[in-house]
Amino acid sequence: MTVEQAVFAIAAVACMVGALITVTHRDPRTAGAALMVTLVGLAVLYAALAAPTVAAVVILVALFATVPLVVYMSVPAARAHTVDGPAVAGAAVIIGTAVLAILIAAIEFGEVPVNVSLRSSDGYDLAALRELLGGRSAAAAAGSVLLVAASLAAVHAARRDRRRPR
Amino acid sequence: MTTTAYLIVGAILFATGALGTLIRTSAVGRLVGVELMLAAATLTFAAAAVGFRELDGQVAALAVICVAFAHALVGFTLAAGPRRPE
Repeated sequence: MTVEQAVFAIAAVACMVGALITVTHRDPRTAGAALMVTLVGLAVLYAALAAPTVAAVVILVALFATVPLVVYMSVPAARAHTVDGPAVAGAAVIIGTAVLAILIAAIEFGEVPVNVSLRSSDGYDLAALRELLGGRSAAAAAGSVLLVAASLAAVHAARRDRRRPR
Repeated sequence: MTTTAYLIVGAILFATGALGTLIRTSAVGRLVGVELMLAAATLTFAAAAVGFRELDGQVAALAVICVAFAHALVGFTLAAGPRRPE
């Protein structure tokens, strides 16, 4: 096993186990710690995919969004207070507007400021769509639909049992 | 490692996030599930960039991360905001 394979194995297992604990554990501190493990594992995977910029952005998002959330959920504090200060929603609107402007500019001019062209003309996207609609991918798509239907049925059954008077 | 391995990890993460969105009853739990799905999509974009040997996937991954960040800010602010008196 090479170093790259070992790093991938450890990071992938950490991601999957962390994600599973995040969605299943009731304790917010445990779920928050598991979410942090998942994000760090994802950053390692991005670095292994030769995308250090994406890995750095994931780490920054984890620090500025996930850690405050985990702290808020873990540390008890008086909640009966008014929220004064800069509107976080306004910051999100500004970020979304900036991203939308970059995407529109990229589509209009065919490239983004990082010198990457979005107008690919080799038709690989159409080939992928044809593959998705037929062949082996159709079985995977049908299996995914069945999995989603089974999940919805399980959720409905769990909530029906919860609503029954004891 | 092959691109397929990363795509499989992304698929498992997406399914876990979808499961969390469905089974959790709290708003924060569902938001975390959506965040996991967005992270899985980002990983898929980055893996596709390696597979097709183009940087377009990494650019798309950055865009998805920005959207996920904005989504997390707004969603968690709404979930953690002060309650109206009943």
